[in-house]
Amino acid sequence: MAAPTSTLKNTATGYALYRGREGHYAFLLHRLTGLGTLLFLAIHILDTSTVYFFPALYEHAIAIYRSTPFMLGEIGLVFSVIYHGVNGLRIAITDLWLPSKWTVRFERNAVRATLALSILLWSPAALWMMIALLRNNFGFDPLNFSWLGF
Amino acid sequence: MTARVKVKPTFDTIAWRWMRYSGILLIPLAWIHVAIQDVIVGVHRIDINYVALRWANIGWQTYDILLLAFAFAHGMYGLRQVTTDFFHTEKARRALSILFLAFWVILSVIGAFAIIAGARPELS
Repeated sequence: MAAPTSTLKNTATGYALYRGREGHYAFLLHRLTGLGTLLFLAIHILDTSTVYFFPALYEHAIAIYRSTPFMLGEIGLVFSVIYHGVNGLRIAITDLWLPSKWTVRFERNAVRATLALSILLWSPAALWMMIALLRNNFGFDPLNFSWLGF
Repeated sequence: MTARVKVKPTFDTIAWRWMRYSGILLIPLAWIHVAIQDVIVGVHRIDINYVALRWANIGWQTYDILLLAFAFAHGMYGLRQVTTDFFHTEKARRALSILFLAFWVILSVIGAFAIIAGARPELS
């Protein structure tokens, strides 16, 4: 049997050019947030395992996580975990209990609601983590209003 | 009336269902973990004693084992599904499946071993 004509490049082009609007964007964002979380999870399993296997290395690993780029990445990770969960719940509920709702109209609204709910849940966490970043890495406490001069 | 036909479910049919079940379970499991460790406690207050002490508590130890089991299996199966989109030959898909399965087993064993053996109750 001849190999299918669809190649790696064709799939990537399809991912980018398919014009499915909300459903398409949700699909891409779900995969991106899922893969991002998995990448972190694999690293996280290994770095946390040093607690038992190489205790001397753990402080070194945690020092990397405390750096500014990693703390910013952590804020993105929290968004990924929230969005992947909210959107995954939408998919699971529709698939398992409401398959008749797999209509373009319903999906478009559901996707918008999913994104809105994710941002709503993420915002307070992101704000709190930004405060922790400024406080620990820049010596600036936004909640200490003495910098206002009174 | 529609006739119901019994079809023996394949591995991927069962996995499709379990991606949804595990996903629903992971919402409380992963979100609570992230809320506590990343947001409330924060990476600046986490050190080796914090982790070892947490694992000394059988409840958190069980929690982390469950999180490891469900999250990593869910993620690795998801990765397999994504790569299926990009690799179309049986040979490539089989090779990737074996690779991902091996990676999943190895990291899960390492992680589970650390969670169980890494507890240091003497710290409390």
